[in-house]
Amino acid sequence: MISTKTAVTALWFTVTSFIIFGCFILKNQVHELETELKKINQNISTDVRNIHVLKAEWGRLNTPERLRKLAFEHIALDKIRAEQIINYSALPFENESSSVDLASTKGSSEYKKLIKTHRD
Amino acid sequence: MLQVGFSKRKNNSYDFKNQRSMSLQNSLFEETYSAGALEICRKRVNIAIALFFAVYAVIAVRVFMVCLPHGIEIKLPEDETQQREILIKAPISRADIVDRNGVVIATSLPTVDLYANPKKIQDAKDAAEKLSFVFPDMKYDDLYAKLTKKTSFVMLKHDLSPAKQSEVNALGIPALEFLTSEKRVYLHDNLFAHVLGYTNVDNVGQAGIEKFMHKRLTESTKPLELTVDLGIQDTIRQELLAAIEKFSAEGASAVLMDINTGEVISMVSLPDFNPNINIPLGDKALFNFTTLGTYEPGSVFKTFNTALGLESGKVKVTDKFDATKPITIQRRKISDFHGENRWLTVGEILIYSSNIGSVQLVSRVGRKDQRKFLENLGFFAPLTDFEIPEKAKPLFQSQKNWTDITMATVAYGHGISVTPMHIITAFSALMNGGIYHAPTLIKSSVKKPSKRVISERTSEQMRPLLRDVVLYGSGKKAEVKGYEVAGKTGTAEKAVNGGYAKRRVTNSFLSAFPASNPKYALLVIIDEPKATKETWGFITSGWNAAPTAGKIISEIAPQLGLKANFDLQAQRAHIKAMQ
Repeated sequence: MISTKTAVTALWFTVTSFIIFGCFILKNQVHELETELKKINQNISTDVRNIHVLKAEWGRLNTPERLRKLAFEHIALDKIRAEQIINYSALPFENESSSVDLASTKGSSEYKKLIKTHRD
Repeated sequence: MLQVGFSKRKNNSYDFKNQRSMSLQNSLFEETYSAGALEICRKRVNIAIALFFAVYAVIAVRVFMVCLPHGIEIKLPEDETQQREILIKAPISRADIVDRNGVVIATSLPTVDLYANPKKIQDAKDAAEKLSFVFPDMKYDDLYAKLTKKTSFVMLKHDLSPAKQSEVNALGIPALEFLTSEKRVYLHDNLFAHVLGYTNVDNVGQAGIEKFMHKRLTESTKPLELTVDLGIQDTIRQELLAAIEKFSAEGASAVLMDINTGEVISMVSLPDFNPNINIPLGDKALFNFTTLGTYEPGSVFKTFNTALGLESGKVKVTDKFDATKPITIQRRKISDFHGENRWLTVGEILIYSSNIGSVQLVSRVGRKDQRKFLENLGFFAPLTDFEIPEKAKPLFQSQKNWTDITMATVAYGHGISVTPMHIITAFSALMNGGIYHAPTLIKSSVKKPSKRVISERTSEQMRPLLRDVVLYGSGKKAEVKGYEVAGKTGTAEKAVNGGYAKRRVTNSFLSAFPASNPKYALLVIIDEPKATKETWGFITSGWNAAPTAGKIISEIAPQLGLKANFDLQAQRAHIKAMQ
C-alpha cells in the first residue's frame, strides 16, 4: 500500500511537472506573440512612414499654383468676386411684400444707376 | 557533539560486557547532555530543512524566470494617447510646420546619406568610376580624392532617393555604407520663403521660423501650427507679382494681420526664393523686407499723427488747420504735393495727405508727447518676440536730437525709419479699439501680453477718417464694394546719399476692413514702381499700391469669411436685373 508520504511526493512531483510544462508552453506562446507584436509594430512604422510620405506628396499636389493651373485648364469658372456673395435675406421672395418693387423703379434713373454700379 | 550522541546508541546496542559500567556512564551522560543534544539535533534538522527550502525556492523562482520571456517589462501606459505614442513613433525627427488650417507647409522626408570607409576600399579607382556613373553630378577626381583619404569616414552624398540607393547597393562595394537621414521639404516652394526660412544639410534652421523655433521643432514631433493661411498667402503673392510686373517695380511686400489678436495671416516679401534650393548668402531674394526693411514710411505715418492729436485731447475732429501756404521750420520749407492751399479739417488733412496740415496738427501737441506716443506704439524698439530672427531695429533721432524739425518731418513719415511689421502692428492697435497686440506667427492658446495704447474713443474716431480717405481721397482705387476699406496712402522718396531721389519711391497703402467693424489690417508696399500709361505718368501710392491693395482685399475678404455689407435694396435690384 502506498504511504501518504509517497502519495504527497508523487502529487508534488506531478503538480511541479505540470506547472513547469505549463510555464514552458506559456513562454513559447508569449515568444510567438512578442514576435508577432514586433512585426506588427514594424509594419505600423512602415505604414506611418509611407503615410507621411504620401501626405507630403498630397500636399505637393495641392499647391495653389498647381490647382490654379488645373482649374484654368478644366473648369470654366472665374474667381469669385466679393459682390457675388449676398445675404440670404437679400434673396427676393415672390410673396414678400417688402421686396423691391422693380416694376415701379425699372426705368427710373435711380434703378439704372444701381445696375450700373453693380456691373462695374 | 553529535558523535557523542551516536556513540551512546552504539554502546547500548552492541557492548553487552560492560553494560553495567556503561549504563552508569550513560545515565551520567544522559543527565548531562541528552536535553542539550536533542535540541541541537532539532536545530540542525531545521537548518537543513530551511536550506533545502531555500534551494528549492531558488530553483522554483528560476524555473518561472526561465519560463517567462526575457527582458519583458510590463509598463502600463497612463492613458490611451500615451499608448498610441509608444506604438506609433513619428517617422521623422523634425516636426512638420502647418498653416492655421492644418495644411502641411514644411515637412521632412526620410532619406539616406551615402558614406564610405576608405580604409575598407579595395579598388578606389574602380569605386570612384562606378560612383561617378551612378551620380553624374559627382566628378571622378573628387570621388577618387575622397575615397583615398586616410580616414575611416567620408561623406559622399546626402539624401539619396530609393532608386539611387538600390543602384549603389547593386555596385557591390563593401566600403560603401548608408546612414538614415531626413530631408527638409518645403511643399509650396517660394510661397512661404520668408516665413519659414530654411535649414542646412544637417537640418539645422538657418533662417525664419526654422531658425527661431529650431529647438521646438527638434524637441517635439507634434506639428508646429502657424497663423499664416495658405490660400490667402498665395492670393496676396500672386497679386504682388502681378503688381511688380505691371509697374516694373523692384519688389513688393505685404502683411495681413488679424487686428484683434496680432496674428499674421500673411507675410510676403518679393523677390523671394525657393528654400528647397540652396541660395547664395547675400542674395537680394533672402532679404525679408517686411521685418528687416526699415524705410521712411511717408504719408501712412499721418495716420499715427492724427491719432496722436486726437488722443492728446488738444485736437478735435472738427478742428481746422491752416494749410494755405508752406511752412518753414529751422530753415526747412515744408509744402504739400498738390496742395489745397486752404484751411483743412483733421479729416481733410488725411484725405488730401497734407504735410502742412500734419505739421500744424503735431505742433499743437508738442514733440515730447509725440515721442512718448510713438514709443508707446512700439516704433522705437525691435520686435524682439516676433518669431523669426530677421528683425531690424527702427532708426530714429535720440531724445536730444528730436528737435522741432524732427517732430515736423516725423508727422508725415520722414526722419524715422521703421519696418512694415512695426507699422501694421501699431495700426492694428489704432483700429481695434486701442489695444496693442505684439505680432505673432505662432498659433497658440496662450495669449501674448497686450496693452492699451489709445482710448477706444480715438480708435472709433480714426475709422471714419480713414474710410473717407478711400471714399474721397488718395485711396479711392482701393475701394471694394461691400467691404468698406479704410486706409491711407504713402509715397516716400528713397533716401540716397544724404538726399532724396525724386523718381525712386517706396509706396505704401495701409488699410483696415471692414471700416465699421475692422477685423483685418493690410499693408501693401511697392518698391520703386514706374509710371505707366494707366497711371498717367504718376508714381504715387494711390496709383499702384492702393489699387493693388483693393484687388487683394476683394479676393481675400470672401476667403476670410467676411460678409459683404451691401445695401439690401441694391442687392435685390442687382439680382432682379440678372434674372
